[in-house]
Amino acid sequence: MKLFKYRIKTLFKYQDLIRDLVARDLKLKYRRSFLGYVWSVLNPLLIMIVLTLVFSNLLGKGIENYPVYLLTGRLLFDFMKSSTNNAMKSVTGNAALLRKVYVPKYIFTLAKVTSCMLDLVFSIGALLIVMVVTRSPFHWHMLLTPLVILQLYIFCCGLGFFLAQFNVFFRDMEHIYGAVTTAWQYLTPIIYEISRLPDKIQILIKAFNPMYYYVAQFRDLVYYGRLPGPRVFWGGWLIAFFMLFIGVWSFQRSKDKFILYI
Amino acid sequence: MSKYAIEVKDLKIRFNLASENVDNLKEYAIKLMKRELMFQEFLALQDINLKIKPGESWGLVGANGSGKSTLLKAISGILKPYEGSVKVRGNIAPLIELGAGFDGRLTARENIYLNGLVLGHSREFMKEHFDEIVEFANLKKFLDSPVKNFSSGMKARLGFSVATIVNPEILIVDEVLEVGDMRFRRKCNERMRQMLSGGTTLLFVSHNIESVKSLCENAVWLDGGRVRMIGSSQEVCDAYKEEQNRLVRERKERRREQLRLERKKYDYLIVGAGLYGAVCACELTRAGKRCLVIDKRDHIGGNIYTEDVDGIQVHKYGAHIFHTSNDAVWKYVNKRAKFNHYINSPVAVYKDELYNLPFNMNTFSKLWGLRKPQEVKERIAEQIADLHITEPQNLEEQALSLVGTDVYEKLIKGYTEKQWGRDCKDLPAFIIKRLPLRFTYNNNYFNDSHQGIPIGGYTGIVEKLLENVDVMLETDYFQYSKENPDMFEKVIYTGMIDEYFDFCYGHLEYRTVRFETERLEEENYQGNAVVNYTDREVPYTRIIEHKHFEPEAELEQPKDYTIISREYSTEWKPGSEPYYPVNDEKNSKLYEKYRALAEKETHVIFGGRLGQYKYYDMDKVIEAALADVKKELEIKM
Repeated sequence: MKLFKYRIKTLFKYQDLIRDLVARDLKLKYRRSFLGYVWSVLNPLLIMIVLTLVFSNLLGKGIENYPVYLLTGRLLFDFMKSSTNNAMKSVTGNAALLRKVYVPKYIFTLAKVTSCMLDLVFSIGALLIVMVVTRSPFHWHMLLTPLVILQLYIFCCGLGFFLAQFNVFFRDMEHIYGAVTTAWQYLTPIIYEISRLPDKIQILIKAFNPMYYYVAQFRDLVYYGRLPGPRVFWGGWLIAFFMLFIGVWSFQRSKDKFILYI
Repeated sequence: MSKYAIEVKDLKIRFNLASENVDNLKEYAIKLMKRELMFQEFLALQDINLKIKPGESWGLVGANGSGKSTLLKAISGILKPYEGSVKVRGNIAPLIELGAGFDGRLTARENIYLNGLVLGHSREFMKEHFDEIVEFANLKKFLDSPVKNFSSGMKARLGFSVATIVNPEILIVDEVLEVGDMRFRRKCNERMRQMLSGGTTLLFVSHNIESVKSLCENAVWLDGGRVRMIGSSQEVCDAYKEEQNRLVRERKERRREQLRLERKKYDYLIVGAGLYGAVCACELTRAGKRCLVIDKRDHIGGNIYTEDVDGIQVHKYGAHIFHTSNDAVWKYVNKRAKFNHYINSPVAVYKDELYNLPFNMNTFSKLWGLRKPQEVKERIAEQIADLHITEPQNLEEQALSLVGTDVYEKLIKGYTEKQWGRDCKDLPAFIIKRLPLRFTYNNNYFNDSHQGIPIGGYTGIVEKLLENVDVMLETDYFQYSKENPDMFEKVIYTGMIDEYFDFCYGHLEYRTVRFETERLEEENYQGNAVVNYTDREVPYTRIIEHKHFEPEAELEQPKDYTIISREYSTEWKPGSEPYYPVNDEKNSKLYEKYRALAEKETHVIFGGRLGQYKYYDMDKVIEAALADVKKELEIKM
């Protein structure tokens, strides 16, 4: 308990650093670009348009308001993908600093996931624009989306911690993970409806793909305008904390050895 | 609570060398199968025990890879101990690789904040001290440019300013101040001293032993990850330096030994380890030639040899005062020794009168009580005119016609007669061509722009010159070349040229000096390094009191004894120690004959005072040696 208290205290002490690191990431992402932060909105919008043009007649057949359907899935998955990718490189990327001063190493991982989450919040602007343009209804359920984002944030932190420590010892992870996320993306119902898949695969996805839980909840709130079912809702929380536990545990176990490998 | 700021106990830090190289799965799998992973561990530090009280300053010295930085990292918490413990009380400001924590893409302003936050300060705090940091780093103009455009010195400045913004309880400095300009370095040192006096504990790593000595009271010497020595910084640094020198020496010795075993031929055999030989050996070695220096004597240095006798440098073969107007030569010797500011101003004693030398206004005013140069000139002219000498027939007449009666009688006659062992009337006029008279009150004997005595003696210079050269002492050239005729290609011969040709035309003559050196149990015998005795009744020509050549050594460590050398001129006979060539007609002609022979000996270069039968000052010897080597190397190319 004392240790826990100490941990919280250091986290508190370094809160300014986290804030600054997050600010740095956001600033650097669009430094020297003409449109700046607008890209956070514009980028998903453009991709959505491309995907809609390509897939609306293939996979999107029969899905009402395909652009919104597409975007609700993609936004969340993109956040997961970029945040974990960045988190994975957060320890190795700050090697110079870590060799120089003592800083709790998880700060960097945490900052990366957080900055990606802020990016997600900006991108929701794109979703709102699309919803206005396509005249889709706004439901009060949308106000609950922060809960889903929080779940996903916790999940991404956990996965990020795990990947970050793993990547320190095996740099191959960076390359493997690219392939993994691509496969993962296709196994998540983003551009298609899950009901189109064979039953067996549906069950597998529902059982083993965490992203399914978050995309499903998010879509329920924004696209369908209904409360998510208890299975996905509680399942989402459970998976998030389980992942966080694995991440923190593995990170904690190996963090003192980082310095020897970076 | 213990009273130590830093307490290191049985610290052991282990690196896993093997796994450091394994960062992909394939290699990992292979190594795992070969079971190599387990074996290659490397103890960067072991058995380190260190207790540092608050306010102390500690230096860490040691070779590269001895674990200095590792220890600092362990103390600052970056590295965790494998075994043992590190306890630190107080906040640490680490100055390790300044600027390493900067993000090149961010501006200086943003980096100041980021770096401060990384060090654990709050945003609030950084805002308060922002101006102060910028002020100290002196980078106001560049605040909004990205740090990637900064020079390493600018980065270091910024890093130092941020890291030292609070008075930390513990300051850790790892050779970061080697970059940056002089002014900033001074500023940093000042700040560190200020912190030290304010009670900050300092841990300092540097390869610059002098700065460790000046900044730290205590020091630890690490060697291969273990503590080799611990104690006062003076002691530890000296021991460390000693060891470094020893290792360098040993390495050279080993190399030489190896070459000797291979019986490789020398490019040059240099006969005589005097100044000429040593300069040649040094320069030829630097040009990649292999040289062997041999000398008959049991020491190097030839006639400039100085011997340390109870802390006094004794000029064994007569007083040597280095003076030159050649900047290059002055630079050359200063690279190999530190020179003091000795200025030669000898004094002459005639009966019980004392005169300054060279002949200057001090001398004249003492002689005649005259103060004005014009009066003196008139007096001398008068005296010369009275003598009515038109064509000087001997040395006496020659001297008289140059300086007049008084100066000649009191300061020249007796001295010259003692020097040559006969009456001035019997000496040829050409020995004195001119006698410089000076109409100023300047006692400086020499007119050269540089003058001094190497602190610690001349032998050190020759030692430095011969640092990388094989030397064999107490070796006679004629014997050696008979026994080892194939060991060398060419010879540089600095011995007597007539001896080389077995005196086939007869002996060249030399003027010779004999020294009677004596230790006296008094602090100061004559108050000057050189005192000439110019009356004939005193048997010696002059007395050298060696301690006055190095007044600064005497100041630093006064001695209640002194060493003097009485100098006697003696008749030269074959076999006695040759000092000054006699450049009279007879000897010059004889030398010319030998020189003609020497020119036929194409594999031998004759050099130096004896090889060229020529009076050489030290600077001229160096000039000649450098020129000869240059010529030699050009021919080879």
